[in-house]
Amino acid sequence: MADMGEKYNTKCPGVKRLMREAMELAEATEEYCARPLEDNLFEWHFTVKGPKGTDFEGGIYHGRILLPKEYPMHPPHIILLTPNGRFEVNKKICLSISGHHPETWQPSWSIRTALLALIAFMPTPAEGTIGSLDYTPAERKVLAKKSVTWSCPLCGDTAALLSSTAAKPITEEEQSVLNQIAFKGEEEQAAKPPEEPAAQEVQPQVLESTEPSTGFLDQLTEVLVALLVGAIGIFIYRRWNAHYSSAETEL
Amino acid sequence: MADDASSSSGCTGNLVDNSINQDELIMKQQREIEKEISESIPLVGELEAISSLEKEYNEDPVYLLKVKDLASKYKYMRRTRPDGNCFFRAFSYAYLEYLLTDKAEYEKFFEIAKNSKEILLALGFSQFTVEDFYETFMEVVQRVGEQAGGAADGMEPIRAELHDKFNKQGYSDYIVVYLRLVTSGQLQTQHDFYQNFIEGPRTVTEFCRQEVEPMYKESDHIHIIALSNALNVGVRVEYMDRGEGSQVIAHVFPEGAKPLVQLLYRPGHYDILYA
Repeated sequence: MADMGEKYNTKCPGVKRLMREAMELAEATEEYCARPLEDNLFEWHFTVKGPKGTDFEGGIYHGRILLPKEYPMHPPHIILLTPNGRFEVNKKICLSISGHHPETWQPSWSIRTALLALIAFMPTPAEGTIGSLDYTPAERKVLAKKSVTWSCPLCGDTAALLSSTAAKPITEEEQSVLNQIAFKGEEEQAAKPPEEPAAQEVQPQVLESTEPSTGFLDQLTEVLVALLVGAIGIFIYRRWNAHYSSAETEL
Repeated sequence: MADDASSSSGCTGNLVDNSINQDELIMKQQREIEKEISESIPLVGELEAISSLEKEYNEDPVYLLKVKDLASKYKYMRRTRPDGNCFFRAFSYAYLEYLLTDKAEYEKFFEIAKNSKEILLALGFSQFTVEDFYETFMEVVQRVGEQAGGAADGMEPIRAELHDKFNKQGYSDYIVVYLRLVTSGQLQTQHDFYQNFIEGPRTVTEFCRQEVEPMYKESDHIHIIALSNALNVGVRVEYMDRGEGSQVIAHVFPEGAKPLVQLLYRPGHYDILYA
């Protein structure tokens, strides 16, 4: 952590906050542990234990936490790395209050809140949410068993990362918050190329300017922008059409 | 845009999902445009003459009459960024600025601010995050305290420092977060009273979690009443909208208090006013 102090501007509240969180979470517990990467305070790796009495019992799940530069004003993103049957791996998921927009993230929540919420949310039904998987209980149990041998290229054997120390008890306020938090995937890291037939018609003309040397991510972004523009174009066209035809009938 | 990992709108769903209707796409685009415009405006602007509003409403007779009325009561204004935090930012900036001129009021406020943390902890807010916001907030408050009540001509450096801190996203947002927490604390400790202000089936706690504590959520009367009560600071809000009449309508919160902070409200937004 001493290095971190030299590398980052500790006057910056976000940095100060993350250093505090790193101290708060320095000691591993039996339920969860998390720490920043050696060289990046804005990326952490975490490990959580599958909740007791669920299909995930006995499982050890490892993943990444990506902190936006505006943290804690904007929420962290979580990426699970260990196959678990509840969330897709290598896919960003973010947390929000169930049924509300992600803007309901609160700066007074922390990485601990996110981890506790993740543990609490694992056994909830996937219900087709983006980033969610609906594996059968049997499949999840198999994955839980396998998960203990999973090893992270950076952190090593993940089962060894948790300790036998009990975590700080969850307060009443925390519990009521945890009951409300939901996790949802987002599409930015979609591995599949987007395929919306209606919008594809518009793609070529917008993509004309794309240079062949553009990186994959840039291209993806452009495709997304193109789709957006296309969809809006169609929408306006439809609206205009509807308006036009209704105007005609009035005449 | 879509590749910005930190964008708060990044989680709203699949851009290319067929099931998302086009209205939603348009709204998303609209939000992004608004966000871009908003970010080009400083968090808290420089002092401007009230007459700058006239230019804004050049071809709008209803507003022009009201600007005229406003100009008869106030000389200057300071605009704030319309990012949903404007009430909290405008309030705290205007009040800290006022405290520079009134040491006695500062001492009174300092005690209230100091005790505010305990109220939040007693409500069960996480200690280390509350402390994090509290410390940054108090750091700025104490800087003001060091100079409060000093000679007016020696105030320039501290005023510049305050302005600078309020325009540094880190500090500025931390102050906003802390005031949001204080507001939430007030609502929750006096929930019987405030429940009457909340429409629909939401409890005060739910309301706080959805409308008060998250950043960028706009403030309503209930926020202003709660914060002005919690800090015991009178706020006068001049309401300027398309309503009837040629005058702006003023409200003082809490009722009957001596206003130390004056704000201009136009639908959806607060700026600071100076007599």
